[in-house]
Amino acid sequence: MKTVYVCSDTVTGIFSGIYDAWKSRKREEECEIALRGMLDQQLFCDYVEVEETEHKADAVEALIRKHLGMRAYHDIYHAVLSADPKKGDAVLGTMLTAREIPDSTKIMDHLSHPKVEKVFELYRNVFGETHSYKGFLRFRELKNGVLYAGIEPKNQILTCLAPHFADRLPTENWMIHDKTHKMFAVHEAGKQWVILWGDTFDEEVFEQVSDREEEYTRLWKGFCQTIAIESRRNPRCQLQHLPLRYRSEMVEFG
Amino acid sequence: MRIQEALSMYDKLNILTDAAKYDVACTSSGTSRKSDGTGIGSCEQSGICHSFSADGRCISLLKILFTNECIYDCKYCVNRRSNDVARASFTPDEVCTLTMEFYRRNYIEGLFLSSGILRSPDYTMELLYATLYRLRRECNFQGYIHVKAIPGASPELVQRLGFLADRMSVNLELATAESLRALAPHKTRKNILTSMRLVQNRMTENKQELTLYRNAPRFVPAGQSTQMIIGATPETDYQIIQVAESLYQKFELKRVFYSAFVHVNNDAALPAKTGEGPPLLREHRLYQADWLLRYYHFRAEELLTEENPNFNILFDPKCNWALKHLEEFPVEVNRADYKMLLRVPGIGYKSAVRIVKARRLGTLDFADLKKIGVVLKRALYFITCGGRMMYPTKLDEDYITRNLLATGEKLPREVREMGYRQLSLFEGGWNEDGICVQ
Ligand code: SF4
Repeated sequence: MKTVYVCSDTVTGIFSGIYDAWKSRKREEECEIALRGMLDQQLFCDYVEVEETEHKADAVEALIRKHLGMRAYHDIYHAVLSADPKKGDAVLGTMLTAREIPDSTKIMDHLSHPKVEKVFELYRNVFGETHSYKGFLRFRELKNGVLYAGIEPKNQILTCLAPHFADRLPTENWMIHDKTHKMFAVHEAGKQWVILWGDTFDEEVFEQVSDREEEYTRLWKGFCQTIAIESRRNPRCQLQHLPLRYRSEMVEFG
Repeated sequence: MRIQEALSMYDKLNILTDAAKYDVACTSSGTSRKSDGTGIGSCEQSGICHSFSADGRCISLLKILFTNECIYDCKYCVNRRSNDVARASFTPDEVCTLTMEFYRRNYIEGLFLSSGILRSPDYTMELLYATLYRLRRECNFQGYIHVKAIPGASPELVQRLGFLADRMSVNLELATAESLRALAPHKTRKNILTSMRLVQNRMTENKQELTLYRNAPRFVPAGQSTQMIIGATPETDYQIIQVAESLYQKFELKRVFYSAFVHVNNDAALPAKTGEGPPLLREHRLYQADWLLRYYHFRAEELLTEENPNFNILFDPKCNWALKHLEEFPVEVNRADYKMLLRVPGIGYKSAVRIVKARRLGTLDFADLKKIGVVLKRALYFITCGGRMMYPTKLDEDYITRNLLATGEKLPREVREMGYRQLSLFEGGWNEDGICVQ
């Protein structure tokens, strides 16, 4: 009978699930990783609640880094942040397959294996969304001088975005608000960024912008309108590159 | 010339954005830099698009002219001296404030500063230098800067400017010296090429300095680029890509940009205005060919000839080449070398790399190619897998042409209607310049 390891939708949760499955020495078709709240109940399966610990997660991380290499770890880490409920299972399947090939660090070249292909596809999707937000995210300056950005990503990309902005804006106080997952990346000038969950902030503060904010918004809007060449108008092409879902927080479309 | 006093920041930005918009390059790629922790800004190798304007082009940089109070009279340009348009100039401080405030809000990846000629090339370059100096040294800005070098300015100024910028460009403007003479009476081919050469030589020296002293200041680390206007003068595509090829080879340019001529002035020296709008399809084909020169190991004279000097409207340059060289096909995907794979229509350079890696692990069939990202409906006429073709087909130019056209893919509505307006159609990858490359 197949064993389904049920864990929470976090890196620690999924890696703990993989830890348990790996320890049980089951074959690929005998085990599965599923996310709590996103189960499709199947008959004839044994459901096991995973006990989630940092220790297990660290062990799995070390295992991947050591045997599959940094590149595969990079892909897998991104895949685990995806919104796809089958992500844990794809990662486990990829790890089990890696055991069977001569050079396990080449696992991500095995795109003809469905689980590897899935990990690759998830990685690309998460990476792509991160890259889009690196450009499309907009900060506004609040009354207290903090730069605030709200985003609504499909995947949990805050831990991918934060290092980028920490490097870029090291001397600013800023926060990025992932409204989909109710998380914040918070950076205090000169310090490390941190992730916070839940209703830590009074969200009304986010609407109170500094006095000069309106002027810069207006200048930017004007710039975006003027830079377009009328005889090359092409809204379809614009839409293709900048889907509507990104535009709600972009001041030039407000 | 109308010069208004006391323009607001909003009006100035509006005038000097409007004056800069015909410059096509807006890319922020080519260099990667971490911040040093004290200033503001960093650079990503692949560049980042921050928005897209209504014409579908990427907005990555604050693209502005420093001034449009220009003493020259280039016939194709809105800012030419003889035009009656609103004029304005920034101060170095104003450009710095705009750049910093836009950057903090993540509106932009950096600054693209170009300029009309105010008083003289040297005078203008001094102003550009003052701006960049302030931005880098006083505001401690570490984001991307692309700056124009003004042809005819003193070499010493070009040098100093290059140490503050990531990319520098000198516009070639037009593909031949005659055309330049006809349309830009104040510019000379010689001045333009001299400035380009200067930047190139300084870059070469800088590479040596950097091998000796790792912390030596860097001279235009993202390289040099240029731009040509397409369709204002009678050059053929063949002439244009030959010029591009020699710019890549002899001047080591990073990029050549092509800008479809937009009719902004009425002038007897310019082609008559038609209802068709800018030659966008032609521009698109040139970008595709440019891509083939840079990444696909094609040479200009393989793509076009004296007898056949212009690109096919119906097919992209690679497909066009394949149809004329059927003797090279079919290619066995499991054996062909990388360069030959690159020449197969429907196989891009990413798929070619993936094929080479994947076939080490086993024999590939058509289903594998599909997963890898090969566009089989184009490739199927030109490849075999394990000695077999996907369907029985004929290696015959007319046959393949007819079938490719019948599938309708890649065939833009604009082409079907034989107009050149509004290309909204082209599928394929778009790079961050908002330029479709495939
Ligand atoms: S130099 Fe020529 S192209 Fe440049 S702004 Fe002046 S008129 Fe226009």
